Amino acid sequence: MNPINSFQDQVLRRAFLKRSAGGIGMMALASLLGRNLAAAETISGNERLGLPHYAPKAKRVIFMHMAGAPSHIDLFEHKPQIEKLRGTNLPPSVRNGQRITGFTSGQKTLPVAPAHWPFKLCGPSAMPISNLLPELQKIAGDVAFVRSMHTDAINHDPAMSFLQSGSQLPGRPALGSWLSYGLGTVNADLPAFVVLVSRGAGRPQESPVYDRFWSSGFLPGEHQGTRFRAGMEPVPFLANPTGVAPADRRDQLDDLGTLNRHRLASLHDSDIATRIAQYELAFRMQTSVPELLDLSKEPREVLDLYGLDVQKPGSFAWNCLMARRLAERGVRTIQLSHVGWDHHENVVDQLPRQCAEADRPAAALITDLKQRGLLDDTLVVWGGEFGRTIFTQGGNNGRDHHPRSFTIWMAGAGIKAGAVVGETDDFAYNVVRDPCSVHDLHATILDQLGINHEKLTYLFQGRKFRLTDVSGVPIAGVLA
Amino acid sequence: MTRLGLALSSTALALSAIATVAATETPAPTPDRKSPDFATQIRPILSKYCFACHGPDEAKRKAGLRLDTREGAIARNQEGQAAVVPGDIPASMLLNRLTTIDMDERMPPKAEPGPNTAEQALLRQWIATGAPYAEHWAFVAPQRPAKPAVSDEAWARNDLDRHVLASLEAQGIKPQPEATRETLIRRVSLDLTGVPPTLAEIDAFVEDKAADAYERVVDRLLASPRYGERLATPWLDAARYADSHGFQQDDERSMWRWRDWVIEAYNADMPFDRFTLLQTAGDLLPDASPETILATGFHRNHRISAEGGIDAEEFRIEGVFDRAETTATVWLGLTMNCARCHDHKYDPIRQQDFYRFAAYFDSIDESGIRGAERSAAPILRLPSPADAERTTTLAAAVTAAEKELATLKSATPPATKDALAVAQSALAAARKARDAFAEGVPEVMVLKERAKPRETYVLERGAYGHRGARVEAGTPGFLPPLPADAPGNRLALARWLTDPANPLTARVQVNRFWEMLFGAGLVATLENFGSQAEPPSNAALLDWLAVEFREHGWSTKRLLRTIVTSATYRQSTAAPADLIARDPANRLLARGPRFRLTPEMIRDQALAASGLLVERIGGPAIRPYQPASSWDGGPGSGNLNNYTPATGDDLWRRAVYVIWKRTQPPPGMVAFDAPSREFCNVQRLRTNTPLQALTTFNDITTTVAARMLAQRIMGEAATPEERLTLAMRHVVSRRPDAAELGILTAGLKRRLDRYAADPTAAATVLAEGTPPPPHTFPPAELAAYAQTCALILNLDETLTRE
Repeated sequence: MNPINSFQDQVLRRAFLKRSAGGIGMMALASLLGRNLAAAETISGNERLGLPHYAPKAKRVIFMHMAGAPSHIDLFEHKPQIEKLRGTNLPPSVRNGQRITGFTSGQKTLPVAPAHWPFKLCGPSAMPISNLLPELQKIAGDVAFVRSMHTDAINHDPAMSFLQSGSQLPGRPALGSWLSYGLGTVNADLPAFVVLVSRGAGRPQESPVYDRFWSSGFLPGEHQGTRFRAGMEPVPFLANPTGVAPADRRDQLDDLGTLNRHRLASLHDSDIATRIAQYELAFRMQTSVPELLDLSKEPREVLDLYGLDVQKPGSFAWNCLMARRLAERGVRTIQLSHVGWDHHENVVDQLPRQCAEADRPAAALITDLKQRGLLDDTLVVWGGEFGRTIFTQGGNNGRDHHPRSFTIWMAGAGIKAGAVVGETDDFAYNVVRDPCSVHDLHATILDQLGINHEKLTYLFQGRKFRLTDVSGVPIAGVLA
Repeated sequence: MTRLGLALSSTALALSAIATVAATETPAPTPDRKSPDFATQIRPILSKYCFACHGPDEAKRKAGLRLDTREGAIARNQEGQAAVVPGDIPASMLLNRLTTIDMDERMPPKAEPGPNTAEQALLRQWIATGAPYAEHWAFVAPQRPAKPAVSDEAWARNDLDRHVLASLEAQGIKPQPEATRETLIRRVSLDLTGVPPTLAEIDAFVEDKAADAYERVVDRLLASPRYGERLATPWLDAARYADSHGFQQDDERSMWRWRDWVIEAYNADMPFDRFTLLQTAGDLLPDASPETILATGFHRNHRISAEGGIDAEEFRIEGVFDRAETTATVWLGLTMNCARCHDHKYDPIRQQDFYRFAAYFDSIDESGIRGAERSAAPILRLPSPADAERTTTLAAAVTAAEKELATLKSATPPATKDALAVAQSALAAARKARDAFAEGVPEVMVLKERAKPRETYVLERGAYGHRGARVEAGTPGFLPPLPADAPGNRLALARWLTDPANPLTARVQVNRFWEMLFGAGLVATLENFGSQAEPPSNAALLDWLAVEFREHGWSTKRLLRTIVTSATYRQSTAAPADLIARDPANRLLARGPRFRLTPEMIRDQALAASGLLVERIGGPAIRPYQPASSWDGGPGSGNLNNYTPATGDDLWRRAVYVIWKRTQPPPGMVAFDAPSREFCNVQRLRTNTPLQALTTFNDITTTVAARMLAQRIMGEAATPEERLTLAMRHVVSRRPDAAELGILTAGLKRRLDRYAADPTAAATVLAEGTPPPPHTFPPAELAAYAQTCALILNLDETLTRE
């Protein structure tokens, strides 16, 4: 059965699902549990299977999307055997006619450029990690690496969409939306799917990521990711209008509730009960969200772990600490998007700047979660939407988009610490062993949450859609 | 033992037989009973459990068995067995395999849920009565159904009502009485114009004793220019209209003249066949004019990328597919996108059909990518006569300045440096003035064919770069053919879409209008009428509406008038609890429809009730109050950044004009389930979330509307009871009952005390937003009324049409 979700959550949800008419009390309760199934059930006739399908190892996911795509060549692909070929043209047999982008398709040559920095072999599997990531080197034993990721898209927008939703086209639900839909939330005062976006120093001009990437697609809107922004108003319209104190709002809500219940008594429409409950949840969020963002009670040594930027709201370090605080509060999916990895030129200058900022907080999050015992039931994933080319773009050490291979890492619940899966060819161009698709990655994540990825489906346009479309196999090598 | 073949070992056969016997403990079918209706009762079961592997998709068909045709279902395999043996239940392997307890044999495989006992009983009855097949109901053109007999003749106001009442009487259910006049006028005003009635309109209707009082209200609403603004929104969703290009660099675009065309077309009640023709092929008409070409902007509303390094052709093809898929969804209710990579799993749409359909849109004179300009070719510029005159004048000024400079340069003796500098800056200024003006002249991206048509190819597995067979433009083979002499272009497509023989278009349209007025379609899945769609809740009614629509000149206003003047529509939403429990989704239509307003209506209603609403049709998008963080794309994300609200009238215009940035759509609209407009959407969900509560309580628009409503009622009456009664009437069109008025006045009293004791709090509460309140109202009193009005604007009833 289900050792993790509270018994109450399960019983209430099942009881609710069995009731076709949706009694008023159950309806309100169901909404508090982060679900309002009435619309979906009556309109589309979806039949939900009992979830989780089997005992989950993870309760929640922290997905660190390194937006723009980090250079796997420089960070994880130690290829001393091709050092002698530096500057020579990439052998055509390696590329073998595969498409490259318009940035480089016009170049006369594709000069080979292996990593620009030394590596250190880390952890039990002697995983090469660039000296640009000294903090990751230290925790390598807690992490499993997949060096054989590949994707179908070669441009950012479709590739990010693919990584987030399993489809290059817009309109499909994000991973976090699927989890909200399938598993609900355990904290009635916060959304089940929270997104935090930060911008790195590596390439400050780079395009950011968009609301679409955490859209609930065809799933009901309450499953969409809620982006917490840095600053005074993390959620749109969270703050009361100027001059309206919490007590004033409480007073209004009391009258509002009385009037709505009066209406409910004569109309018997359970939507009214749901609305009353949602206004109360909104009121609680007005307290729970500011409390979440208040770091004043974090111990000094914890703040130090994340580095100086942790005091800067909206920085990657602040977001990483926020991820731990959200995990503590039971939020199901926490997605961090960190922009600044799209180094089409001057990798030599931009990548060290980006890493200097991004390395420590990511490692600190693992350490912090571990110290608190949270790593045991939290799955952490780190990776970009594709990799970067072994060959140079332009005249100034750029690297272009590379979908044929890239590296991600995972840690926490159910993950085999220190594992290394897959291998690329001498040029870190093609995967030569244990290829892993984005669907495989998604299947792995769902598996750790106790979900058979083939069975979490939603009927839309007459077809059962799922996160992994029509393929995907959990990556056996990273599973403990 | 493979689970794919029909070949069975004798052991398995015996097991299946046992299972079948066990399952037939439900009453055996009586041979004289009539066969279940294949189209609405049997095909949905086969489609749900079997078609994914035994349906139209030839490439993925398992064991060579096909159940979507009778021929396939009764065909015998090498062992002489058949899935369906008409009249012979034990010999029909279909039932054996669906009901066996042997999990290796059971279908569907992998322990997927199979048919329940009711569905199994239907299948048995169907086989026992000869297993007749029929075409999928939606693929047969609707015929005007016979007028049904009803016993309560007096209740039915028109044939629509007779169809509803016949089904209610068959189930022994009585419809609800008519809603109160206050409820009715608010309902129909919101439904047809998106704005609630004024007090004068309510009073006039309540006091009008004429038999046609309600019909005259309806006619007034249909004639109001607000009607076009209200009807436009669902069409803009379907047409994925937005004010930005989408993708990473989400720059502003200029398609609003097309949006205004839609509003004008609805207001003029343009027949739907003409509406279709112009938007699909307005550029190809023999008498094409700027107006007809403007309509084709429909097919340029899709996203257009400016991302560096993309393959323009790949993105162009994506746009072509988007047009085909949008057309299939909006007009035909078909999920043709499924056939992009393979034959459709459930409907008889071949992969070739998708590419033939897409070929209609493949020869547009476009590149697939855009530059820095606000539009990508082909473009239609739409200067007003005054614009044209000004453009000529400004161009002439540039020419004159150029000439002046040239003269100075070639002058003897040479002109002074100063004189040259003056002439140069005059030329620069003239050019700047010309270009700045050109930027403001409306232009719209439209359709225009290239001189030489492109060749269209099937893409293997839908993958770009993997060309398969070449195809010519055409419509799906299972639907009525095009006329033999039809040209292979969009004109033929447009005429085919609204041809009387087309079984889908009229049904799909009336179903969407029905959903708009009743909260759920007669076919629940507005976007899918294929074999996976739930059968219509009232098939005769759907067909009657479709035929009415088509035979009365495709007049949308006439159709809507028929629906909203029916007794069915006029019913009260209040109903006995047992009826609600029996039919929670109101599919039987035994009560009035009660559902949440659209975000557009929620905004417009607050503005109208408070007197803030500024009504001006059309024009460039407006920027209302919205959080500053609404557009925080930052560098590289396009030119819509750092959201700044407008000042003055544009803050208070209708929601249909609010600027729509695709990657960051208006947060207050998204909270209420508005789509992003990145792709076609014909059905908005209606969720109920805490973010909605935060939006309607805390948006500055509500704050100002609440204060303006407070000022309004304080000016209109003297006592708290009178004032709060007025506030309720402005917002929900009815007077509060004694209990409600008691709660409101007691709350007001508490707030009066609070703000009298704390004048600073009162001043702060009143300070947000423009225009500032006049000094004629005591601040403590105004603040107390404003806070009470704010809660009235948040009542469940306020957010709902009842």
